Amino acid sequence: MNNQPLVDRRTMLKGAGVSLALPFMDSLTWAAGGNSTKPPVRLGFMYMPHGVIMDEFWPKTPESYLESPPSAIESLRPILDQCLMMKGISGVPTTPFSGAPHALELSTWLTATLPDADTRSRINIAISADQIMANYVGAHTLLPSLELATMPQTWKENQAGLHEAYYSHCSYRSPTQPVPAEIDPRNVLNRLFGKKDKAGRVTKANPLDRQMLDRVLGGARDLRRMLARTDQQKLDEYLDSVRTVERRIAAIESRQKEAALEKAGVRSTRRDSNDSPPIEVKIPEGDKRSEYMQVMCDLTVLAFQTDTTRVSTYIGSTPNGESYPELGFSDRHHSQTHHQNRKEMVRKVAAITKFNIDQFAYMVNKMASLREGDGTLLDNCIMMWGSGLEDGNKHSRENLPFIIAGKGGGSISTGRFLPDTKGNQGDLLTTLLSCAGVPLDRPIGIATKQITEIKA
Amino acid sequence: MQSSRVLQIVLTTAAGLALALSLVSPCWAETDGGGEDEAALRADAEKTFKEKVGPFVNKYCVRCHNTRPEGGINLQSALRSPGATSSFLHWKKAVANVKVHDMPPEHTDKIPTDDERHQFIEWIGKLKYMAPRDPGSFVIRRLSKVEYGNTLHDLYGVDPSITDGLPEEVIGEGYLNSISPLQSELFLDIANKVIDQVVSPEGKAPTEVQKRLFGETPSDNADFRKAARQVSRSLARDAYRRPPTDAELDVLVGIFDLGRENRLSYTASLGLMWKAILVSPQSLFITPAAEVDSKDSVVPLDDYQLASRLSYLLWSAPPDAELSALADKGELQKPEVLRAQAARLLMHDRSRALFDGFGAQWLGVGGLESQTFDPDVFPQMTPALRTAMMEEARLFFQSIVRENQNVFRFVDSDYTFLNEPLARLYGLEQSVQGPTMRRVKLENPNRGGILGMPATLATTSFPNRTSPVRRGVWVLEQILGERIPPPPPDIPELEEQDQKSAEGLTLRQRTELHQSDPTCANCHKVFDPIGFGLENFDAIGRWREKDDVGVAIDSAGKLPNGEAFATPAELKSILAERKADMARNLTERLMAYAIGRQLEGYDEIVIDQLMVKIANDSFRMRTMITEVITSYLFTHRKVRG
Repeated sequence: MNNQPLVDRRTMLKGAGVSLALPFMDSLTWAAGGNSTKPPVRLGFMYMPHGVIMDEFWPKTPESYLESPPSAIESLRPILDQCLMMKGISGVPTTPFSGAPHALELSTWLTATLPDADTRSRINIAISADQIMANYVGAHTLLPSLELATMPQTWKENQAGLHEAYYSHCSYRSPTQPVPAEIDPRNVLNRLFGKKDKAGRVTKANPLDRQMLDRVLGGARDLRRMLARTDQQKLDEYLDSVRTVERRIAAIESRQKEAALEKAGVRSTRRDSNDSPPIEVKIPEGDKRSEYMQVMCDLTVLAFQTDTTRVSTYIGSTPNGESYPELGFSDRHHSQTHHQNRKEMVRKVAAITKFNIDQFAYMVNKMASLREGDGTLLDNCIMMWGSGLEDGNKHSRENLPFIIAGKGGGSISTGRFLPDTKGNQGDLLTTLLSCAGVPLDRPIGIATKQITEIKA
Repeated sequence: MQSSRVLQIVLTTAAGLALALSLVSPCWAETDGGGEDEAALRADAEKTFKEKVGPFVNKYCVRCHNTRPEGGINLQSALRSPGATSSFLHWKKAVANVKVHDMPPEHTDKIPTDDERHQFIEWIGKLKYMAPRDPGSFVIRRLSKVEYGNTLHDLYGVDPSITDGLPEEVIGEGYLNSISPLQSELFLDIANKVIDQVVSPEGKAPTEVQKRLFGETPSDNADFRKAARQVSRSLARDAYRRPPTDAELDVLVGIFDLGRENRLSYTASLGLMWKAILVSPQSLFITPAAEVDSKDSVVPLDDYQLASRLSYLLWSAPPDAELSALADKGELQKPEVLRAQAARLLMHDRSRALFDGFGAQWLGVGGLESQTFDPDVFPQMTPALRTAMMEEARLFFQSIVRENQNVFRFVDSDYTFLNEPLARLYGLEQSVQGPTMRRVKLENPNRGGILGMPATLATTSFPNRTSPVRRGVWVLEQILGERIPPPPPDIPELEEQDQKSAEGLTLRQRTELHQSDPTCANCHKVFDPIGFGLENFDAIGRWREKDDVGVAIDSAGKLPNGEAFATPAELKSILAERKADMARNLTERLMAYAIGRQLEGYDEIVIDQLMVKIANDSFRMRTMITEVITSYLFTHRKVRG
C-alpha cells in the first residue's frame, strides 16, 4: 500500500505556473514521411481501471446516443458526432489467471494477450498495439511514441503469481520489454521540444553524440558475441533503445536544418496556412488531479499537433485503488467498485468514471477546436478511451467500455452507438491499427477479424 | 479472485514441512557437492509421483482440474510434467486447498480421509526434488535508478540525485530489468550533466575530479592518443567494474579520435569518450568479464560479477577499492573471502542501503513518508515525526544485522532508537530530549521490536484509525511468511458495512462480524485475533487503554493453534517462539531480493540447505545474510538451456 504519487509531483509543480514557449515551433511542419496534402493519422489511448457503472455509461439506444447521452459521457456532448461507442467488445478470457483481474486489466488492454503462464513470474506477454504502430510510423517523428502516466509504476501486488509490473504497465515494445511511462510533465515537455540552457536557448542536438552512440552500439555488438543467449536478449533491448535515441538526434538535426532553411527564406515547409498555431501548455502550480491530467492531455495534443509523435498512451490511473480527493471523498477507487449495488458506492464509482472521461473529453474537445488541413486535428486522430474491465464489482469483461473519438483521417464512421458489436479486444485493436494505416502481418492477440462496422 | 474465495490459509506452511524433510535428509556440502543425494531424492520423488500422487489426483481431482481447469488449476498437465516450473504453482495451490479441507468440495462423492490428505501434502513436499539443479539465469542486470545515482556519486563525486529524472522503479523481487528508449535518452542526458559538472570549460582550471580522471594533458600533441588510451583504461575499469578488453579500449579511443577529427580539444575529446563510457552497456549493466568457454550450462559468476552483485546488494553502490582489488586477484571465489567481505560491507554504515532497499520493503514502511493521515485526528504526524519513525525502523534493523542477533529479536527485543518527537509517542519525552536519535532501553515489555514500533503500526493503519485486519495479515505474511489469499472480490471494506448492523459496536465487535459470516470466518479467525492483540497501539503507534469511542481495549486473543495471549507483550513472546518460521521467511525474502526474482522449484532445495546452517548458528541475522550471499543461487548463473 505504499502509494506515493503526489509528493514528487507537488514539489515539481510548485512555482511552475508559467506557459512555455516552444522551440522548433516557428512554423508547423510535417515530419519526414508525411504527405503535404494529407495529414498523417495519429493514434492515442487513455486508460481508466476497474470498469464503469453500466447504466450510466452505455446509451440506451442508438437514437438516444446523440439526443440524451448517458451522464458519464456528458462532457463529450459537443463532439458526440465525432465519437463512436460500441457495446459487445469482450476482453481476453482470463483463464488460467482468474485470480488476477487487476493484474490483467491493464496488461491485456493493448496486447489482447494473456501473460505466458509458464513464465508468469517474469514479463512475457506480447508487443502492444501502440508499439506496433510506433514501429511503423515512429521513424518519421522526433519520438516514436509517447507514454504517460499519472502515478509511478511501482505498485507491488502479486496476483496469481504474475510479475508485479503487469499491474501498472500496458505498453510493451516486445513480449519481455515493458515501456515505462513518464509522469513529470516538465520532463515530457523537455523530451518533446528540447531542453533550454541557462540563457533560455534550446540546447541543440549534438551531431557528435549521434556518431558517438553509433560507435557505442558497435562496441555493444562486440560485447553481444561474448554473452549467453538470455543475456543477448537483454542487450538487444539496449541496442534497440539506443538506436531510437540515435534516430531522435538525427530527427532533431533535420528539424533544425529545415528551420534554418525556412529562416533564410530558401524553402518553406510550412503546412496549410489555415492550421491553428501550436497550443499553449501551462504547467499548473497546485496538485489538483484534474489540472495534472489536463496538462498531460495538453502535451498529447501538442505532440500530435506538431507531429512530434503519432502515437501516445496515457495511463490516466493505475489499478491500485487510487483515491480522488478532488471529488470530495477519500475512498479508494478499487474499494468502491466492489459496491454490491450499494447506492453510495455506486454514486462514487460513477463520479470517478465521469471524472476520468471528463479529462479525456477535455483533450478531444481541444483537438476538435484546432484546425488542421481541411478539417480539425481530431479529424486526423483516433483517440480511444477505455477500461480493461466492464463491471469492477464482478470483474466482468464481456462488454468492455470504450469510446473512440476522431475520424482517423476519414477511416472511421463516427456519430454512432453500435449496441451489439460482435468482437473482442484484439479485433478492435486490429481494426484501429488498420484505420491508422498500419499494415499488420498478423492480428493482434486474440483477434480473429476486423470489426468492419467501425469503418467508414 | 472468485477462486480465492476458497480457504487457502496454510497454518503450518508447506515450507515448514519442507524444512522438516530437509532436516532428516543428509545435508549437502558446499555448492558443487550433493549430486548423488540429489539424484537419489529425485528418483524417490519421481517414484512417489508415479505411484502415489498420480492415483490420488486421478481419483479426487482431475474430474474438474483437467485441461478445462476449474479455478485455473490444471492438475492433469501438472501430472504430466510434475517438476516443471509451470506446474509448481498448481501443486502449491492444490496442497493449500486439500490441507484445509476446502478441496475436494463437499458435494462430490469421493472425499479423501484425513490420512490421505496428510500423505498428499507430504508427497507434494518432495516435488522440489524433481526440479533440475538450476541457479536461474543471472541475466546481465541493469543498474537501478538508485544504484546508478550512487555509482556516479562514488566514481565522480556528483550528487546521487542526478538520476532523479529516471522513472521510479521497484527493486528486488519485482525488479524490471529492462531498458526503454525513454531511459536511454535520460542516461544520455545524465551523462551530459555529469560531464558538465566535472569538466571545467576550456581555458579554466580543471576540477580536482577532472585531474584525477584525465590526468595531465601531454605537452606534445603526438602523445595525445597514447595518453587517451591510458585514460580510457582507468575510466573503463571503474565504470565497467572490471578490466576493459583491448577491443573495448579500441572503441573508446576511436571515439576520442572522433572528437579530435571534429576539432575538439584534447580535454573535450576525452569528455566525449567518457560520455561514451557512461552510456555503454558495460556501465549500465553488470556484465561478465569474459566469454564463458566452458561447456557447462551452469557456471560460477566471475570475480567481478560477484564483487558487483555483492556490493550492489549491500550498499547499492559499486565495489570499493578493497573489493575491486580482491576481484582483480581472483580471491572472491573463495567462500571464506566472500564471507569476510560480506561481513565487512555489512558492518559499514553504507549497508543502510540494505534497509532502504530490502528492510523497508519487507516491513512495508517504505510509503510512510507520503502516507495520508487525517490531520484532524493526528495533527502530530509531522514530516519530522515521520522521518524519526523511519529512522527508528532503520536503526533497529541495522542493529540486529550489525550485532548479529537472532532474527526473533526483530519481534522480541528490549531496546529501540528514539529522539524527542518520537519519544513522545512512547511517553518517554522526559528521558529522551533533543532531535538526535539514540539507543534507548525499554522497560515496558509491550514495546520493543517491530510489533510495537510506530512505523509499522502506522503503515498498517487507515488515515484515521487502526486496522486489526491489516495488522493481523501483516504479522502473518511479513513476519511468519504465511500466505493469505486476497479477500473475495465482492466484499466491501469495513467502513462500508451496513451501518445499521454495525451501530453501537466497538471496532472489535464490528470486525468480528467477519467471523459470523462463513465466507469470511475461515480467514478472519486466523488473522483478526493477532490484529486485536495490537489494538492497544493507536494508528500512529501510541499506547492507549481505550479505543476511539472510549471503550476499554480488549487485546486478548488466541492464535489458530490455540495459544492464548492477553497483552501485546504476550503476543510478542508467542511469536518470538516461531524462530524457524521467521528465519525461513526472511531468508526467502532476502534471497528473492538478492537475485531479483521470485523463488521457485530448485530454489527451495537451496533454501532448505541454508536453513540447516542458519539454524545451527541460532538463526543469527548476519549469518543468514552471509549464507544467502555464499549460496549456490547467488554465486552461480545458468548460461545455457
